[in-house]
Amino acid sequence: MAFSRRQFLKLAGGSAAGAAVLAACRPAVREFIAQSPVLLPEDLVTGVDNWYATLCQQCSSGCGIQVRVIEGRAKKVEGNPLHPINAGKLCVRGQAGVQALYHPDRIRRPMRKTGGRDSLKFVEISWDEALDEVVGRLSQIKADGAAANAIVMTEPLGGHLGALVSRFASAYGAGHVAYEPIDQAVLKAAIRGVFGQDSLPFFDIANSRYLLSFGADFLGGWISQVQHSRGYGEFRQGDGPRGSFTHVDSRFSMTAANADRWVPIRPGWEGKLALSIAYVIIREDLGDAGAADDLTGGRGLDALAAFRPDRVAGDGRSGVTAERIEELALEFAAPDHQPALAIGGGTAGAHTNGVFNLSAIYALNHLVGNVGKPGGVIFNPAAPDLRGSLFTNDAPFGPAKADAFPDVRAAVDRMRSGQVSVLLVHNANPVHGLPAALNAREAVRQVPYIVSLSSFLDDTSLLADLVLPSSVPMEDWADGVAEPGPGHQAVGFQQPVVRPFQETRGFGDILLTLAQELGMEAALPWETFRDVLTDGAQRLQGLNRGNVTGASFGAYWNDLLRQGGWWDSRSRSTASTRASAISLQGGDADLSGSQGDYPFNLVPFESIGIGDGRGAHLPWLQATPDPMTTATWATWVEVNQKIAKEMDLREGDVVTIESPAGSIEAAVYPNMATPPWVLGIPMGQGHKAFGRYAEGRGSNPLAVVDPDKTDRETGALAWAATRVRMVPTGRRIRIPKMEGTVLPIDFGFASGNRVIKIASKDE
Amino acid sequence: MAKQDNGRAKWSMVVDSDRCTGCQACVVACQAENNIPLNEEDIFKQRRAMSWIRIERYWEVPFEYTQHPKKPEDAPFDQVKARFLPILCQHCENAPCEPVCPVFATYHNDEGLNVQVYNRCIGTRFCANNDPYNVRFFNYWEPGWPETLRNQLNPDVTVRSRGVMEKCTFCVQRIRRTERTARKEGREVADGEHAPACVQACPTDALVFGDINNPDSRVSKLSKDARSYRLLEDQGTEPNIHYLMKVDPFLTEENGHE
Repeated sequence: MAFSRRQFLKLAGGSAAGAAVLAACRPAVREFIAQSPVLLPEDLVTGVDNWYATLCQQCSSGCGIQVRVIEGRAKKVEGNPLHPINAGKLCVRGQAGVQALYHPDRIRRPMRKTGGRDSLKFVEISWDEALDEVVGRLSQIKADGAAANAIVMTEPLGGHLGALVSRFASAYGAGHVAYEPIDQAVLKAAIRGVFGQDSLPFFDIANSRYLLSFGADFLGGWISQVQHSRGYGEFRQGDGPRGSFTHVDSRFSMTAANADRWVPIRPGWEGKLALSIAYVIIREDLGDAGAADDLTGGRGLDALAAFRPDRVAGDGRSGVTAERIEELALEFAAPDHQPALAIGGGTAGAHTNGVFNLSAIYALNHLVGNVGKPGGVIFNPAAPDLRGSLFTNDAPFGPAKADAFPDVRAAVDRMRSGQVSVLLVHNANPVHGLPAALNAREAVRQVPYIVSLSSFLDDTSLLADLVLPSSVPMEDWADGVAEPGPGHQAVGFQQPVVRPFQETRGFGDILLTLAQELGMEAALPWETFRDVLTDGAQRLQGLNRGNVTGASFGAYWNDLLRQGGWWDSRSRSTASTRASAISLQGGDADLSGSQGDYPFNLVPFESIGIGDGRGAHLPWLQATPDPMTTATWATWVEVNQKIAKEMDLREGDVVTIESPAGSIEAAVYPNMATPPWVLGIPMGQGHKAFGRYAEGRGSNPLAVVDPDKTDRETGALAWAATRVRMVPTGRRIRIPKMEGTVLPIDFGFASGNRVIKIASKDE
Repeated sequence: MAKQDNGRAKWSMVVDSDRCTGCQACVVACQAENNIPLNEEDIFKQRRAMSWIRIERYWEVPFEYTQHPKKPEDAPFDQVKARFLPILCQHCENAPCEPVCPVFATYHNDEGLNVQVYNRCIGTRFCANNDPYNVRFFNYWEPGWPETLRNQLNPDVTVRSRGVMEKCTFCVQRIRRTERTARKEGREVADGEHAPACVQACPTDALVFGDINNPDSRVSKLSKDARSYRLLEDQGTEPNIHYLMKVDPFLTEENGHE
């Protein structure tokens, strides 16, 4: 189309008038002309930005975030300064949430698979067509009486969304499985046993003076990284004297590197070490005598005789000497180290004696009497009571819950034997996360009809017949109770910060639509998931306490979203703190594979970036250097440097890691601080699908874990209880890593000018 | 290195290495804020990854293993320590990278910032050569993002093209944003109100940013701490970043490097 000069002037005039009208609702004009050539080149004029408070869903910590939005596009994620869990701070995974929103391989609209189960071809269809199909199939299945054989599998979901999924599943008659690769069943069982608490407590690291941790990579990915890191900074250089920190771990993790002292231990011995420490504390009469009686059932030192330091030290079986045990006990109970705090988790609980280990570790807190006190273990109250339409006495409002490994395994076995009529899957990826020996892929393949409601085509969703893509958290509503909470009641609220970037719908909304179409309105009477949340918010308002204000509900709702949630710092737990007897039996760890055939202990660990694999699709997380090796984008195996030399292995040599349950490949990274008997491998890679950044990259150490080694009490997968051997393949790769990208700047000056300077004490 | 006394702020940072855990939150926060090109696998393999702030990991062995004939690799695994140190542009008062630029693409502004003018840069890389801290990065490639990911790019920050040097700016766009907000609200900028992306994110509060000309600011006070030192101070670069020493209660006298 050609313009005449007159037409052009008309158009130009028209748009100028439009601009003048628009300018009225923008900031003062002088802001736009503010510029100074003196300040070049950094005198950029910023546009108008909006910050929306919402909830981070990149892991289960429940941090509050605020997202910077310019012209309808999310730009940057920062911590919400008002939120009690993270107080404005954020980790790498939270930062990368925005990349999930704009990921190039997000599912754009509903798709139907063409070809058979293993076909990779999908055709895009409309929402109406997709919903018609799934409603038709689900009605048919229900009419055939096969609804009880349906499974709804999701990632663990809490708050209203979690309750909505359960309600949907039970109204349809289906089973609901909440799956995550590394669940906290063992930790929760130990906390219940030692403290009588159903929710995980808040560890007041900031006010502690002595920290003794076992296996828990709490500065890395363990349960609530930002919350713990905030406390750690204060613990080291806050107002009080500098806290001392000893870390017991089978691998030299990032948390071990930050400790004043790392105590290497043979895998599975953590509980016995803790009881040996308890033995010394009781023998020296340093701890709370009443607690000692309670813990040993009144039998005192005799009850712990089997854990005398020389017995636990043995002939080096535990890797810890008797002198070291005595020293740790005296330090832990020393009056000038109080309040002292003991925490345990991660690999310490990932054994067949997991609950035994963690119970023994947490019992140490009773001995030094820190329970319920600043600097100690502070119980979290139950979430606010929102009983009513969605929540009942049996299923109260609360944090996300994962199903136990035996239940997940049973569900997979039912799929394998053809007993499952339909699988609805949302952001759960058992095909990637379960041990390869279970062959979850083959099991899922047997399900006659699979519907994926995920945002990405991951390993599991790739098998789906129909895909109804759900929105990512930044486009959707939700709420959540953090676990562990901050020591008082807190509920984070998640609001959409941008409109859906693709033709996706909220997971809750999709379920409500299905419920209406399937005639389940009685159980799920809401129009949209936002209505469910406003119901909940009204109940919160009815509590008449907390940070949110507003005379009308509209004002209350706005303030709730503005602040990013509801919390009441006075609502603390009043639970009693008396110790109860702990189990002193079943302390032996049972490892898979014989020492002769499989000389190394496999120690899988969560990557700082991609975690257990749920962050593997995001390029920033793939490119985040591992703190210890600086490696990125790959699967490497940390091998003790001397062992590597003995086996003639250099950095980048590809080896096969073989266990009794399977084998994977990884590239060798010789490491000075890895115990000679350990092979440390990061979790998270090994995806067959999940977008261009994750696909076909590396391998997952959970694949070689023996699924038959489980915690004796809870049945949780003992993911650190597998022995492996290492076989060179003769191939070699260049490990993508940060190290060596630039020269280290410490280039040989006299020691007085070192880059790293260390002081012997706090000055 | 005349002390700046022009009535303007002088931006400085304090890095407390005793708080730093090496968690990399600062690294990704910087990439998100400053439109750093995606560091894809091949880029790491070429050792050309860009990271305006990075965490260096140093291995430390007992002193005796640094003395001939013993070798550091001989140290027992349980006596090896790892230290983390965030390294970013030190914004030196007397920056070695500045005078060598033939086109004045890098210069020192009157707020203590070492500034890179991208459209003056002709890519000689002399500055990177002369930079003792290795914090300048060269765009070997035209930066590329998949079309959808471009939606995340920060409109306040230029996307640098191939052939240009880039480096930490102390998030000058965030400084300007806070100043503008304060001016609009008719008040002074408060201490701690400015935070570069790395400082804002840091979960342990290891990074502190502020005006060192203001004697009451946190950076000002912390920079006078007994643990304070600056990197490669003997080079005379007068860095604007103050590090606070890591504390190790088990430090032996031989291993001491105070």
